[in-house]
Parts: sequence; structure tokens; C-alpha cells
Amino acid sequence: MKLFLTVLLLGAAVASATSAGTDGEISYEYHRYEELRKALVSVWLQCPTITRIYTIGESFEGRELLVLEMSDNPGTHEAGEPEFKYIANMHGNEAVGRELLIYLAQYLCNQYQQGNETVIELIHNTRIHLMPSMNPDGFEKAASQPGEIKDWFVGRSNAQGVDLNRNFPDLDRIIYVNEREGGANNHLLQNMKKAVDENTKLAPETKAVIHWIMDIPFVLSANLHGGDVVANYPYDETRTGSTHEYSASPDDVMFKSLAKAYSIYNPVMSDPQRPPCRKNDDDSSFKEGITNGGAWYSVPGGMQDFNYLSSNCFEITLELSCDKFPDEDTLKTYWEQNRNSLVNYIEQVHRGVKGFVRDFQGNPISNASISVEGIDHDITTAKDGDYWRLLAPGNYKVAASAPGYLTVIKKVAVPYSPATRVDFELESLMERKEEEREELMDWWKMMSETLNF
Amino acid sequence: MASKYVGLFIFFHIVSLNVMSQTSAFPTPTASTNDKTVYNRQLTEERPIQAQIAEADSVKAAVQSAESKRPTSSKVTESQQDRDGLTLLKSLADGQKTQVKTEVSAKGVQYVPDESDSTKSRRLVEDYDSTKNGMDNGKYQDDPETFRQVDGTPLTAEDIVQKIANKIYEEDDRGVFDRIVSKLLKLGLITDSQADTLEYQVAEALQDLIAKNAKNNEIEGAESNDRETKEQQDDQGSDTNTDTWEQPRSRYSNKEGDEADDDVEEEADKDAEVQGGNAGDEGNEVSPEDGLQDLQYFPNFYLLLRSLDSENLDAMIAMQTKSKLGKSLGLPDFTAPTGKNLDEDDNTKAEAAKMQREYENLKDSTKEEQQSPETRQPGKSQTYLEAIRKNIEWLKKHNKEEGKDDYDLSKLKDFMDQQVDSYIEKGIIAKDEGDTIKRIYSSL
Repeated sequence: MKLFLTVLLLGAAVASATSAGTDGEISYEYHRYEELRKALVSVWLQCPTITRIYTIGESFEGRELLVLEMSDNPGTHEAGEPEFKYIANMHGNEAVGRELLIYLAQYLCNQYQQGNETVIELIHNTRIHLMPSMNPDGFEKAASQPGEIKDWFVGRSNAQGVDLNRNFPDLDRIIYVNEREGGANNHLLQNMKKAVDENTKLAPETKAVIHWIMDIPFVLSANLHGGDVVANYPYDETRTGSTHEYSASPDDVMFKSLAKAYSIYNPVMSDPQRPPCRKNDDDSSFKEGITNGGAWYSVPGGMQDFNYLSSNCFEITLELSCDKFPDEDTLKTYWEQNRNSLVNYIEQVHRGVKGFVRDFQGNPISNASISVEGIDHDITTAKDGDYWRLLAPGNYKVAASAPGYLTVIKKVAVPYSPATRVDFELESLMERKEEEREELMDWWKMMSETLNF
Repeated sequence: MASKYVGLFIFFHIVSLNVMSQTSAFPTPTASTNDKTVYNRQLTEERPIQAQIAEADSVKAAVQSAESKRPTSSKVTESQQDRDGLTLLKSLADGQKTQVKTEVSAKGVQYVPDESDSTKSRRLVEDYDSTKNGMDNGKYQDDPETFRQVDGTPLTAEDIVQKIANKIYEEDDRGVFDRIVSKLLKLGLITDSQADTLEYQVAEALQDLIAKNAKNNEIEGAESNDRETKEQQDDQGSDTNTDTWEQPRSRYSNKEGDEADDDVEEEADKDAEVQGGNAGDEGNEVSPEDGLQDLQYFPNFYLLLRSLDSENLDAMIAMQTKSKLGKSLGLPDFTAPTGKNLDEDDNTKAEAAKMQREYENLKDSTKEEQQSPETRQPGKSQTYLEAIRKNIEWLKKHNKEEGKDDYDLSKLKDFMDQQVDSYIEKGIIAKDEGDTIKRIYSSL
């Protein structure tokens, strides 16, 4: 409890510290593709030791899907350092998220150089990836519309007319079957690389993101949308197929905690008196600024659930504005509403349990399973044997297992934050057999000496 | 035996729990590892000064060499010194526009015989080229003294007015004023009201000048005029008018000569009339009118010089430019350490060049299409420049705080060059942007 309060105070301190910092260097305007590129390059030029720009591929029309990475050692995964990502603008006409990520990049760079300790610590201990636009083609279409009022649909889908948030392989279907009939509870996309490359229905943007998820052991993520104001968590697709139905994931408790960690600092999102965006909107599922996906409305083939069911990454969906493409002069306000939430949400990656799984010789065991008793969702260790298991405060039994090794179970008491370090040394089956054999030999030797045969 | 292992296991478990409850955070990298490289800053504070001095010296040298080439003309008497003020201004501005010089002079070659300001602006820029226009840069060395004396003395203001009047007269180009004034207006250095004040002053000066020179021309040019007027009767007049004016215009670069003919023809005709007979009267009638018409935007040089006195011109223009562009560089003031001054100077040059480019683009309507990419280019470069400067500042400050040696600029430059190349390859940066960034880094 004390720790929880301390963290709350810390959070408040973060809020006040960041609001006291200068946002004066950020210019709040819409960035088209070239301007977006220029803005990211400028951040990189200002903070070259902690940032790096890379691209995960090209959109249908050939625009780069740019990512700005921020960490104390950009370009590499440091063993034990959790990976985090923000993706925005997968619906091209939902523009606020795109801009917020650009401002966030500038903000983190500025704050880092101005000595903001929270930001410095965050960047040193996390590898943060920011993708301001997953659908740059759609954005151009949306932004090119004449006049102030932007259509609700123009620019939403990619250049091929594909809604990227319905384009991911639908793993919810599979998990629901497995729940009933037994089967894997994680990493459901079999032969992932093959399935992706040979799937003709996947848009290039979707493919690029899937490869990205496979390559980097992301732990926590959020994808930014517009058209409403709420933090949405898995599962998005209903179990029975109905249009509204609360569809809890095994990590429902943790997801609620994560979603709240965002909404709590956004005064609009967490305002209990906030009227719905449109008069006839059904926001009955919204509570304290958060909602379960299925309870709100069923979404199949979404990126959020795909993350959770194909990889170790926990992702939530953030709806940040009633208006999908609001006036440019409102951007500053949106930034102020979301700045603290955006930073605080990144900090959530440092929660639960984390550590290394190694064998008795100290070699890392990659792809070992970490299971938590009572939560039907396992995660796996990355290449260096490192893992991060997000957990809400409580007492847990955590087990590490790998083929050919003996499982080890440990009891852990998990606070709100920071993450508790739990390392595992696994004994291989061969080793155990050897030991037992030696013990047997010793016993036989002793017996023979005693009995004199 | 099995129980032994269980016992060990429990023991280890208890120990680890104790350990875990005491550790509060994931081990963070120690401070020493945060600083990846130790930058050794090579006395960059000294280099900027030297660079500045070297530059100033080269300008002076160019001017002096040009001056030695030019034959001293008797026509140019006391107004010589007066004209130098303008020259100083021009040459200083020239130093900033070195990047654009070749571009601009290329335009000058393709001179189109129309009276629009854009073409005249090209010629003015050519004048700024000290290697071509020796006369204008004559007695450069005296200027600082003359200038620095300015502090409310009417004499200096008159000098300046004289110089400009002379310039107009020599070039037979009223656009001189337009060019200067528009530029200064654009840079925000003068206001329209100030322009009006000097309008009349220069008009008067020009009037006097024409009267004076008309008498001189009568004496000196009488012979050649006689010769040429005979030819005039034979030819249509364009060639002879050119010849008539070859003497006074011989001082100018050859580039202007042929192509400028058509434009100057009218004025040549007028001045020929002035030479021929009623020198004073006709000249007086024509020139003040012309002068007044064209002196719409004439800057108040008096006030300008006063303000120039207290500052480095480069810096002042830069400051105005910056405020015009509406971007702040993040540097508090000019009294910052010299290391920052170098950055400032580089920035001012780049900015002045950009302003020049923008100005010229705006002037020429046929180039309007190209305007946006070109003006965007300066905007982009400036943003990048600002970002790089912020990084350098932070590195300096950071290393100071850490108590380390100063960062190694060359290492940083190499690293950035490498990164830029890889980004260009991946399509993250365009080639020209990459070159800009490399250039900025090499200028540090």
C-alpha cells in the first residue's frame, strides 16, 4: 500500500514536473509526410545519442513507415531492458495520435536535455519506439480534403481501401476454441513468418507491423485512434459473436490497471461527467475512462488483440478525440491533455515480474515459458533469456519451464511498481539423470563396502 | 538426497525473496557507462574568431586588389568616400551571400531587357561582387572610420545620401533605390516612413550631382560627342548612345555593358540631351521627378547607420532575419561565448543567403513555381541547424556537468556523417538534406 501511495505521489510529481517544463519549443501543427519526416529528423539531430530513426517498411504508395526509437543505447536491445511501442494513425483520418507522437518525441528529447530526471530514467531503462503513422497514405488523403470539416471516412483505410485494424489475422477465434477444447494460450500464429508472407490478404502496412512485432520482444504497447475518448483493452472480439459483450482476457485485471494508468492523467478521458461525443452514442461500457473492447463493440482482426495473442506484448487502444481530424489550433490542447498520460503509460512497462532464465551453466535459455498460476496466458523469454511479466499487485506463483529442462516454481509478492526481479536457473533433464545415476552409484558403493561385496 | 535439494531450494528461495524485497529497482546502468564517448573539444572557441578575422581579411584583400586594378577617375571626387558607406553595407552583405553569388551571377548573364525590378535586382547583386566592381569598393579601409564616427552628425548622413545619389547617377538606374529599400524593408531594418524622409534628400543630391557632372561631361565628352553625333546622324542611335555612355560606364563590369544597353537607352537619350545643351535645366526637370518616383522605399540611412554602429552588421541582419522568419534559435544573446558566436555567424550567413534567395524568387514572377520548394528548403535547413545547435549546446553543458573533458567534435561529426549516409540509403533522409546536415556539421 505504501508503495502504491509512493508511486501515486511520484506520478503526481511527474505531472507537476512535466507541466513546469518548457513546451515552448514544440510547434503545434499538422505534419504531412515530408514535415513528419523532417520533424523526426530534427529530433534525431538534436538528440543523436539517445535516438535513432528507422523504417519498418513502406506503405502501399511507397511512403516509409518511420519509427523514432529512444533509449540510452539506440539500435540495440539491452538484455533485461523492456521494449515499448506507440503506434498511431493506423486509420489515416484519425490524426491527433499522429501529432501527439511527434510532440512526444520532441518533448522527451527536450526534457532529457533539460535534466528532467523522470524522463532521463525512463529513457535509460526502456527502449521506446514511436511510430507516428502506420497509414501515411490514408493521412495524406484525409489531409488533402478541402475545407475545415473532414469526412468521417475519407482516409481511414490504406491506399488499397483496406481497414488496417480489421486486417490482422484473427487469433481471437483460435483462442476461444482453445479455451473450450484445450490448446496453447499464447503465441497462436503458427509458422508466423510463412503465414504472413504467403497471406495475400495482408496489406503491406499490416505485414510490416507483424514482422516488427516478431523481431522485437515488445512488452507493452498502445495504439492511438480518434473518434471517441476512452482507453480500450482486450478482448476486442466477442466470444459469442454478438455485437456487445464483455470479453475478458486472462489478464483482465492487469489490462484494467494499464488502461486506467492512461486515463487517470487525461482530464477529459477520466471525467465521469463527460457527455458522449455524439448525442446517440452508447458509452455505457465506459467506466472511469476505460472500457473492455467487446463490451463497447466487437472488432475482429484488430491489431490490439493480435499483439496479445501472437506475442508477449500487451496492447491497449487509446481513443483520444471525439473529432477524428480536429482543427489545427486544438492540437496544443490535445497535447496538454495527453502528455502526462503518454509518459505515465510508458512507465507501466516497469511493473510485475522480470528477470532471466538460464541453465546451470549460466547460459540464457530463450523461448522458455513463464507461467503464472491462475492466469491462463504464458509469456516467453527473449533471445538473452530475459522476460517481463506484467502483473498487478498481489502474490503469485511464477513458473519457468523449457523443453528438456525441469520446471522451477517461485513464489513472488508483487508490488504496484517497480518490477520485481526473479531469475531462474533451470536444470536440464540430462543433468538430473546424471545426478541420480551418481547418487545411485554412491549408494551402491557404500552398500558394497558395508556388506563387503 | 532429494530432501537435500529441497532444502537447498527452499533456502535459496528464502534468500532470493529477501534479496528481492530489498532491491527496489532494476539495476540501472552506472553513470560512467551513460557517457559513451569522451569528447575532446579542440579549442573551438578560438577557431571561430580566427575564421571571422580571416574572412574579414579576405574581403579587405579582395577589395584592395580590385581597387588597385581600377583606374582612378577624376570625375569621382569627394563623393568617392561617401559612396563607400553603401559599399561597406554591400560588401558585408556580400560576404553573407557567397553561397548565392554564383547562382545569382548566372542569372545576371541571362539578362532580360525589361524594366521589372527583378532584373535590376540581379544587377545590384553583381555589384556586390567585389572582384568585379572595383570602384564601388574603393577606399574600403576608410569606411570603418567614417562609419564609426556616426553619432548624430549630419555630415555622415549627407555623405550617405551623396553616395547613393552618385550610385543612381552612375548606373542610370533608379532601381538602385528600389533594390536597396526593398531589401531593407524585407529585412525589417527600416520603415516606410523613414523612406520618405530620405527620398527628398537624395532627390536633391541627385539633382546637384547631375548638374555638376553635366558640366564635366560637357568639357570632357565634348570631343567624343562631336565625333559620335556625326555617327548618330548616320546610325539609328542605339550604338552611338552606347558609345556616348561608354566613358562613364567603363568602370562597370563588361557583363552589364551590352545587355544593359537597351534598358539604359532611354536614360542615355535623356542624359545626352542634358549633355548637349541645357544641361542644368533639363537635368533638373527630369531627374528629380524620376528620383522622387523611384525613391519610394528609400531607407533612412542615417538612423540605420546609427544603429549599425553599435553592432556587428552580420549579427543585426541575422537577428532581423530570424525575427522575420519567426523562429528562435534558442541562443539568449550575442554576448554568449565565442564558440556560440561561430554558430551564430554560420547561421546568419546561411540565413542571409536564404533571405536573398527568397527575395529574388519573390521578385521574379516567372519563378513563383519554384518558390515553394526553395523557401521550404531554407526552412528545413534552419530547423536542422537549430536542432544540431541544441545538441552541441547540450553536449557542452552535459560534459561540463559531468566533469569530463569536452566532447570530441570531429568524432561526433564522423558519427553523424555515417548515420546520415545510412539514413539516405534507407530513404529516411533525402540526399540534399543529408548534404545540408553534413555541411552544417563541417562548418562547426
